[in-house]
Amino acid sequence: MLLEVTDLRTSFRTPRGTVKAVDGVSFTLDRGRALGIVGESGSGKTVLSRSVMGLLVGSNLERTGSIRFEGEETIDRTARQMRDLWGAEMSMIFQDPMTSLNPLMKIGKQITEPLHAHLGLSKSDALATAEQLLRDVRIPEAGRRLKQYPHELSGGMRQRVMIAIALACGPALVFADEPTTALDVTVQSQILELIGVQRRERNMSVILVTHDLGVVAGHTDEIAVMYGGRLVEKAPTRQLFANMKMPYTEALLASIPKLEDRSHTRLTTIPGRPPDLVNPPAGCPFSPRCAYVRDRCRAEAPPLTPAEDAGHVFACWYPVGSPEYHERRAELGDAAPAAAPGADGEVAS
Amino acid sequence: MTDAAATAATIAPVIVNEVPRRRRPPLGMAFGILWLVTIILLTVLADFLPFVRGATQAPRGASNYAFGPGVDFWFGSDRLGRDVFARCVYGARISLIIAVTSIAIGLVVGTALGMLTGYFRGWIDRVVSIFVDSLLAFPAIILAALVVGRAGALRESDIQVLGLGFTWLSNAWAITAVFAVLSVAPITRIVRAQTLSLSQREYVLAARSLGARTPRILVREILPNVVPVLVSVLFTGVAILLAAEAGLAFLGYSVEPPQASWGLMVTENREFIDEAWWATLFPCLMLFLTVLSFNLIGDRVARKFDIREAAL
Repeated sequence: MLLEVTDLRTSFRTPRGTVKAVDGVSFTLDRGRALGIVGESGSGKTVLSRSVMGLLVGSNLERTGSIRFEGEETIDRTARQMRDLWGAEMSMIFQDPMTSLNPLMKIGKQITEPLHAHLGLSKSDALATAEQLLRDVRIPEAGRRLKQYPHELSGGMRQRVMIAIALACGPALVFADEPTTALDVTVQSQILELIGVQRRERNMSVILVTHDLGVVAGHTDEIAVMYGGRLVEKAPTRQLFANMKMPYTEALLASIPKLEDRSHTRLTTIPGRPPDLVNPPAGCPFSPRCAYVRDRCRAEAPPLTPAEDAGHVFACWYPVGSPEYHERRAELGDAAPAAAPGADGEVAS
Repeated sequence: MTDAAATAATIAPVIVNEVPRRRRPPLGMAFGILWLVTIILLTVLADFLPFVRGATQAPRGASNYAFGPGVDFWFGSDRLGRDVFARCVYGARISLIIAVTSIAIGLVVGTALGMLTGYFRGWIDRVVSIFVDSLLAFPAIILAALVVGRAGALRESDIQVLGLGFTWLSNAWAITAVFAVLSVAPITRIVRAQTLSLSQREYVLAARSLGARTPRILVREILPNVVPVLVSVLFTGVAILLAAEAGLAFLGYSVEPPQASWGLMVTENREFIDEAWWATLFPCLMLFLTVLSFNLIGDRVARKFDIREAAL
């Protein structure tokens, strides 16, 4: 077990009240596996990944629960104590390659710095390693790139450089926080492919944070769906798409435009807005927006319950496929979310 | 003909000449650099140049009294018979040394304070901000006059700190010290604001996520990105301090005669402006052109860095 997160709660005290950005999340991750964390903006997925890594700072921050990395508890460590892990054991690929490289430092310098700091490589060794890393992430003319500044590279190229930097010291765990959001679609799949290849070659674990179910579909072993700071469904990737239980997951999937739809089909949306994390709704956080909501949903928050298939948990009183679900679905008729349960595991992205 | 041209155009890669839309020759910049280089060369080499007379030449009697500008005295001579051109050059030396030294001290201290407060915030930010705010609220000219005025008394007293007296504390040093303190405040504010925004950039977080230590984040990630702002502050700051020094000198709170400073020359000669206008006008002109040059260059530099920022 590489990473074991138990009942992680991260909150920020603000003048408006306490924002419960992560509210009791638990998951585990084995070495070499990829976990996708999916949710819309404000669902707490970025805060979750940063708080697992311990990157968040501030006197208004509160973090409780347990984060065991390679068997050791890290939640009570200070930034100073975490520093030896950062870069060397865990690293992060950021969302926007345009802003996550220092504009005034050459690529080579930016890659070799962690190599100096963590592995103590000499200057020439570090440069050679950097060149090899750039080749690993499929950057042509790697030697020349080392002497270039970030603005001389394209967005996709910069994201590759970011990946190279994140991989530089051979970390066991890499967080990829929306690594493809700022890139165009053709480059997206290349980058995801690259992360996958590197994961298998280096036997490292990847946590892929994204709002796009299509992105995680082909590149993860397991998917965790977050809503309002909580984990609402978690299952092996194939099971999740084949047998989703949570109406939110269903709605999320339904909102992906499909190729086989006729043109001018209206995009399916989830009405309403993500919950206010200062005053979350009573009961199920998704209840105000759920098409299948019943009185019980508004009163009591559903616990994570195991589904019939192994490794699948969900938090819903009336999951997809239950009698109540079908009853309400019949009432709604055409207005019901379009994604039929039981679609085969592959999803067009 | 046109067909052939069109075909060629479709086949050959179209090379668009990158002609900037408004191509204004950087006249201001060119003038500024030329003027500053001239002034700096003159002030540095003044002692060795044959055409610059000694700055503190003794009066030579009535024969040199208030000569108009001409071949002998380029900028004329004042009522004590001293060469105005030579005094302008030596005045430039003092004015520039005061302005540049105090801006340099201000930059070092202000940048350090600004980066510390902007990055760490918390109590250090509060404490420093209180000082900075009070400094900005205090009327600068009164502070300067006060310090320079008391510096004279301190110099003549036999007060000793750590066994050292204050005989070295000339008015020039006192002014430099005041200006340095005064320039720390705005520079701290500017750098603090810049650091606040830079420290939220993703590349700073990225550096942290790779295990970079705080000092190296400050020095390697933030400082280089503050420098463009500092360069434009440097030029504008020197311009402001030059004018301020002249203002203080005009009020009599600067170097003492027979030393020269542009402001001092103006105040010495202004009563005789009817008889010898050149003795007042030329120092004014020197001051004006030098401040203008610094501003022109500073503007240009600021704009240059702006474009660079926008292109990123």
